[in-house]
Amino acid sequence: MTATLLLILAILWPLVLMLRSPLRLMMEQEALWRPGPRPKLLDAWWASAPLPALALALWPGETTLLLEGWLLGGVWQLDEARRPWLLFSTLLWGLAGVYARGYLIAEQQAGEAGDGETFRRLTGLALLWPLTLAGNLLLLLAEDIPSFYLGFAVMTFAAYGLVVHADNRDAHLGGRAYLIMALFGEALILGGLLWAAGSAETLTLTGLRESIVDAEQGAWMAAILWLGFGVKAGVVGLHVWLPLAHPVAPTPASAVLSGVMIKAGLVGWLSVLPLGDPAAGLEPLGRLVVVLGLVGALGAALFGITQRHPKAVLAYSSVSQMGMLTALVGIGLTDPALWPALSVAVVLFAAHHGMTKGALFLGIGISEHPPRLPAWLLWPLLVLPALSLAGALASGLASKWAFKGVLYEGGHGALVIWLSLAAVGTTLLMARALWRQWRERGHHAIPLLGTMPLAWLFAIVAATSLPLWLPVAGGVVDSPWPPPDELPGLLWPVGAGLALAGLGFYGLADITRRRRVVWRLMPGDLWWPYASLARHLGAGLKAFGDGLETRGSRLRAWLVAQEKGAMAWIDGLTRYERRFRQLAVPLMIGVAVLLLLGFWLE
Amino acid sequence: MSQAWLPLITLATSLLVAPLILLLPERAWRARAALNLSAALLKLLLVGLMVVGLYQGREFAFGFTVVPGVEFLLRVDALGMMFAGLSSLLWLATTVYAIGYLEDSPNRKRFFAFFSLCVASTIGISLAGNLFTFLLFYELLTLSTYPLVVHRGHPAGLAAGTVYLRYTLSGGLVLLLGVVGLHALVGDVTFGEREMLRDLDPSYHPLLIGLFLVMLLGLGVKAALVPLHGWLPRAMVAPAPVSALLHAVAVVKAGAFGIVRLVYDVYGIQLTFELGLLTVLTVLSVFTILYGSIRALAQQELKPRLAYSTISQVSYIVLGISLFGPFGTIAGLAHLMHQGLMKVTLFYCAGNYAEELGIHRIDELDGAGRRMPLTSLAFTVGALGMIGLPPVAGFISKWYLGLGAVQAGMPWVIGVLVASSLLNAAYFLPILHRLWFRAGPAHGKGQWPEERCLGRFETSGWLLWPSLATALFSLLAGLLAGLPFSPLDLATLVATEEYLP
Repeated sequence: MTATLLLILAILWPLVLMLRSPLRLMMEQEALWRPGPRPKLLDAWWASAPLPALALALWPGETTLLLEGWLLGGVWQLDEARRPWLLFSTLLWGLAGVYARGYLIAEQQAGEAGDGETFRRLTGLALLWPLTLAGNLLLLLAEDIPSFYLGFAVMTFAAYGLVVHADNRDAHLGGRAYLIMALFGEALILGGLLWAAGSAETLTLTGLRESIVDAEQGAWMAAILWLGFGVKAGVVGLHVWLPLAHPVAPTPASAVLSGVMIKAGLVGWLSVLPLGDPAAGLEPLGRLVVVLGLVGALGAALFGITQRHPKAVLAYSSVSQMGMLTALVGIGLTDPALWPALSVAVVLFAAHHGMTKGALFLGIGISEHPPRLPAWLLWPLLVLPALSLAGALASGLASKWAFKGVLYEGGHGALVIWLSLAAVGTTLLMARALWRQWRERGHHAIPLLGTMPLAWLFAIVAATSLPLWLPVAGGVVDSPWPPPDELPGLLWPVGAGLALAGLGFYGLADITRRRRVVWRLMPGDLWWPYASLARHLGAGLKAFGDGLETRGSRLRAWLVAQEKGAMAWIDGLTRYERRFRQLAVPLMIGVAVLLLLGFWLE
Repeated sequence: MSQAWLPLITLATSLLVAPLILLLPERAWRARAALNLSAALLKLLLVGLMVVGLYQGREFAFGFTVVPGVEFLLRVDALGMMFAGLSSLLWLATTVYAIGYLEDSPNRKRFFAFFSLCVASTIGISLAGNLFTFLLFYELLTLSTYPLVVHRGHPAGLAAGTVYLRYTLSGGLVLLLGVVGLHALVGDVTFGEREMLRDLDPSYHPLLIGLFLVMLLGLGVKAALVPLHGWLPRAMVAPAPVSALLHAVAVVKAGAFGIVRLVYDVYGIQLTFELGLLTVLTVLSVFTILYGSIRALAQQELKPRLAYSTISQVSYIVLGISLFGPFGTIAGLAHLMHQGLMKVTLFYCAGNYAEELGIHRIDELDGAGRRMPLTSLAFTVGALGMIGLPPVAGFISKWYLGLGAVQAGMPWVIGVLVASSLLNAAYFLPILHRLWFRAGPAHGKGQWPEERCLGRFETSGWLLWPSLATALFSLLAGLLAGLPFSPLDLATLVATEEYLP
């Protein structure tokens, strides 16, 4: 009972908090139009949005809620498979919310003091942040397809407002890339969902997975859905929005974007693809997925190290990490027998990446506005999650061990090598991001006990200790840490990466002096060719349309001319009128004569 | 006794209001408003009574013989009630809106009289029990909307009115030919008596196909199927409440409703399917959907963009009924109501922007969300519904269309739906972006074209509340689609009747 209430409250509470700001503004309508103090938007209540969901994730026991009148029949559910996702997502949302109150304090103060422009932007954030959260929670909790899609769409579109918060040129470019790619994703998802749900006439995600297994063209359905969610998950080729949107969003928004929201793509895959079903017959798709995942994992690492903006580097690192996860999902398709064990590793890896990447993003704000901590303490704390993401220690080491063990057992040794190479790339990316952070570090110190440093510190603690508290498949993993004799095999990529980074560091100054081209690689890589292709296509279509239009107007002109001619002819008929009148008398006489003749002849 | 008279009284509520309005002096706007609103409320109540009666399985019919062999018949069935419910609900909203919109403008007496006649015709169309009665009101609709289209009386309006009359009258003529042909073949065609045509000898089938196409041509003019859509964007010069009504319930919907009647109640879905005519409808509607959306993209003004969007959206209804199977039927019929609610909202909002701020072009909308938040919110709901995003009603239509496509063995239609959604997003999202994310006159940048402060709120309450109410209805129709008496529920009722003998 309590769990069901919490389930409803988890979705409702962010929405209530969202409505709270406009209601307050409406009540103080007068205040809005005159210059002067304004209400505080990002208060403690605002940051409390994910709390009911967090309580739900910690509440023992499973629960299901049936909503008959809702859409086509709602089924919301919290089960053991959803719990880890819900737990780490709400935790990161909560930390990012607390962090945001500190991060945006300057805007907050300016808004309160009466700066209309800042207040407007802040209002947008205050409204859309809880809405995005509500969408995210709904997609995690929904079991019926319409609610799931609703949550996904709400999260996607509301997050646009977070991306364009800065309201400058770069932000709008990032926002546009984000929105256009997201739309293509949504469209593919809708198509795939309709097709798969329609062929089995099912309304639940479980039914959808079965439908893909049974359907004749299940492979195509799976491929469309995989691509659709792939936009969010940053599959190579569809990832172009990530490096454009991440650097421009406010740092706490980047953290949830990279930590939680791109995981929604992965959640989508796990929800709709019949992973681990031996009858699915999706091996060809699986092989493609593995290859594309590895291409993304390595390519993003290579491209990312050329970036200057630390957040862009971290965004490429997200693409790279998601590429590794994609490859693991691909294994779930090619080797279904391995999936039960692999899925545990995937959840652990995803949660680890979510929390750690969140901590790293939050750390960027910290290096820009360092708290009153000695440098010998501050920088190791910034390095810690980076090392963890590279797999050297803590949760990174544990999650790497988790999937490596499974893959070796399943005989996918080659994949492990490739993933280790990607880990080398991750190490390089981390070195690059930290280096850029160091170069762009700020000096204006903020108090240590503010919301920003505290949220960041808590994020680091939570991220590194993740395997100890994340309930995967019903409980915490028994022995998350690898035995000591496995360590060399797990740690060599980090070592190699660090060595390469060191080499690069010494060679770098030389390279940059001689070849400036390296630095002109724009964030967003494939976005630029896509954009120019779309421009050409648009111009071609417009020319074609104009051609059709002129042809159409020519046809219309011809028809009008014909009609005018016909009307003129009809008007001309009046000329015959007089002649008819003149004819009438002879006609009558003629007829009379004929009649008379007839009578006479008879 | 009273049951037979119920349809007649419903029809009379709006039919008799017209002469009463003409009798009132032009300046008596309070009396006129009271008369209009009470008639609209009364009719909504009567339609509500009939819907409840229908759920209880009662029969309502009224008829008399005009000449032997030709009967005037008003009858209540589930399909007609959907349309009647929609039109009486939106009539109420539009009456409120029109009272606010036409405040202080000349010729209001004429406007409201023809407005009532127009609604009487749509009610007649929905209650018509046979093809003859349908045709009667169908033509009455054409004639009663003309004075509304040319209401402003300026040259552009008159020209648009001429185009409108040309299209609809020739369409009506063609329809008449088809109806006469069918009449000659089987006599009086009562809706629902599908065995009449089904039992005909197969040698008549080519003739039946021909007659169907002729009638489709006649109905397609009002339903704005490409290439018969030319009048609709031109008719945009009409005042906003007229455009709203034209697009949401009256003319366009009458055409679509006529096609629904033709397929389900004259030919019967089985026969239409066997004659291969559903494929014709599918192809025609798919083409219209894509064409309308692409043309909408190119429009720079708000109302023409909405007009092309209507062309595209109304064809969803035709697409739905052309997909053989109950899901397609549900989709088409539900969309009949959903599209009405959403489109009427969009047109109200467009009217609000034009009245309050003098905005006609899309690029003038920058930052209007701050100046008129509630109107913009209603517009956002309507636009998201058109794109087909949950939880607005458009999503429900799209869902069932997709299911229907798979059921009919035409999964490629899903591709069309997806493409159409993308196109809808491409022409609606830029508007939303301008409304909410761009700085404009409300942020001290530039000036509104012609700002008037019409009321206490962001605009006059007469304009604001109908927009909000219809937006709320479109949202609820999607959000609570599973509840009884929702559009989806009614559509399911009709579909069950159609497919379960």
